[in-house]
Amino acid sequence: MALTSHPLLSALRRNPTGAVLIALQIGITLAILVNAAAIVTHALQKMDRPTGLDTRDTFAMEVADLSRQFNVYSASSADLAYLRHLPGVAAASVIVGIPLTDDGGTTTVGRLPESQGPTITSAYLPVDQQGLRTLDVPLVAGRDFRASEIRVPTVAHPDPRIGIVIVTQALANALFAHRSALGQSIYLGGRTPSTIIGITRNFMGPQLGGGEHAYDTVLVPEIVTQYAAYDLLVRTQPGKRAVVLREAKRHIDAADQNAVVGYTWTLSHAKYRMYSGLRNLAVFLSFLTLVMLVLCCLGIFGLGTFNVVTRTRQIGIRRALGARRRDIVTLFLAENAITVSAGAIFGCFLALGIGQWLTTHDGLARLDPWYLLVGVAVLALTSQLAVWQPARRAARIPPAVATRTI
Amino acid sequence: MLEMHNISKIYRTDLIETHALREFSLQVAAGEFIAVSGPSGSGKTTFLNVAGLLETFDSGTYKLDGQDIRGLSDNARSRIRNEKIGFVFQSFNLIPDLDIFDNVDVPLRYRGMKAAERTARIANSLELVGLSSRMRHLPAQLSGGQQQRAAIARAIAGDPALILADEPTGNLDSLMARQIMDLLEKINSMGTTVVLVTHDPELARRAERNIHIIDGLVADTVPASGARRRERQGPAHAESATD
Repeated sequence: MALTSHPLLSALRRNPTGAVLIALQIGITLAILVNAAAIVTHALQKMDRPTGLDTRDTFAMEVADLSRQFNVYSASSADLAYLRHLPGVAAASVIVGIPLTDDGGTTTVGRLPESQGPTITSAYLPVDQQGLRTLDVPLVAGRDFRASEIRVPTVAHPDPRIGIVIVTQALANALFAHRSALGQSIYLGGRTPSTIIGITRNFMGPQLGGGEHAYDTVLVPEIVTQYAAYDLLVRTQPGKRAVVLREAKRHIDAADQNAVVGYTWTLSHAKYRMYSGLRNLAVFLSFLTLVMLVLCCLGIFGLGTFNVVTRTRQIGIRRALGARRRDIVTLFLAENAITVSAGAIFGCFLALGIGQWLTTHDGLARLDPWYLLVGVAVLALTSQLAVWQPARRAARIPPAVATRTI
Repeated sequence: MLEMHNISKIYRTDLIETHALREFSLQVAAGEFIAVSGPSGSGKTTFLNVAGLLETFDSGTYKLDGQDIRGLSDNARSRIRNEKIGFVFQSFNLIPDLDIFDNVDVPLRYRGMKAAERTARIANSLELVGLSSRMRHLPAQLSGGQQQRAAIARAIAGDPALILADEPTGNLDSLMARQIMDLLEKINSMGTTVVLVTHDPELARRAERNIHIIDGLVADTVPASGARRRERQGPAHAESATD
């Protein structure tokens, strides 16, 4: 290649405005590109985590009754008796709180009472003896709740003692690290201690919105009757969800004139809704980055085209002096590479600064240098592609331009 | 050095055809200094473009330094321009962003020379034209005459066999013009063939031969009768020429 950087630099130094502006644009684009890519990747990784649930064949429905004589226990028992015998149903349970939604509760969990030690915020999921089966979540240690252990507190007899609980593996590890959690006592909220009788494979409970601690769930053996509504969770045989859901709604509507199916959730839709914020963020950032990249390429293309127009004679002179067409293309690519390099250096510092700010203020992980490397490579490639057409156009300028008197 | 036989060059648009060169034939020997003159629109610049491989021609044959030019690729033509031809343009055509050193360096870089050799050649050529002390000046910081001398340095740095000078004094005053012509004669005396394209009869008379073009044809060839011819032929010939 018949080029070294010195004359290129001196030419750029004497006409720096356009190149400096493009370098700034490249730097800002790189900083946004890199950090957006890190955020989007983080979001995608989050969304890609397993829920631990059979989202394809599970649905939940809220049943409410506005009549004064409404008895949650007997109404839900009747519904469950029907559902468990309905063809296509694999398991059904009455619960409070629907996994993967904001419908449900949380509680603080600690090895000591709240005032004496640290606690973890965990999803709180009251279930009956078929809760685990309906959730399709296997035990990795201990045992399931027995029918006799299911508490049915009422408004008249609230009974705050829970006694036994099942926790997810994630919560067990968070509480007891490498020790076995089975048989250990834990404190839920301000209540009396409860004994861990089982540990399940991880799954996402309600209320935690797919956050960092989405697998921290504690299951308690309880049918909640204090409200004039209850949630039914139903897992169907593969592919039968739509049919069963339709039949269950038809039955509940027909069985009791006062019963109303408040809402229904399929867990696949719940998962989709749970990640809508992250998904929207990922789409927005990707779009923003794409727009920045396109604007950057347009800027480079514009500067390249401007250079072709304003340097037509100079290019003709170079051709007359022996430059081949590829030498002219190389000249434009080399000049662009210098601008991009300057912009990339500026952009790397800016990206690290923004990354540090995001780490400090939003708790994001530190920016992985790989993002910088890939970002620089992407920008270098796209910017060279952007200048390619003007460079080719410049190379087509005939050498006879040199002898024209303008 | 330069052999053209029946060269035709036609510029075509949708509406008209312009015959810039018609059956144009010319032979220039190695080491010769010729002038090509003619009125405006006569085909001088087209001749220069064709001779300098800046443009192709439609028919005829053209050999430069024994090499047939017809049908050569763009790359091959670029290489010949770079290695065998030095251009001196009316408006100097220095690259304004580069200083004089880098301007002279341009064709040498395209030849792929090593830095040490380029530096030596640039120093020699700038010394020959008297601009050694101005090598880090930008073209805009030099006078017209100095710029044209820098352009001549650029033309000779690659040691070409042929210098094509297109109205090299057209933008200069008479004193500067004389210095440039002296310089071209000095380069010619060192063995380089010089073809000077000019519309100025005074300048044309300083060449060994004056080719007069009208309407793309060689109208006549006039041997120079002045000092230039006497110098080349030596004192004895000079005396007989004046007898």
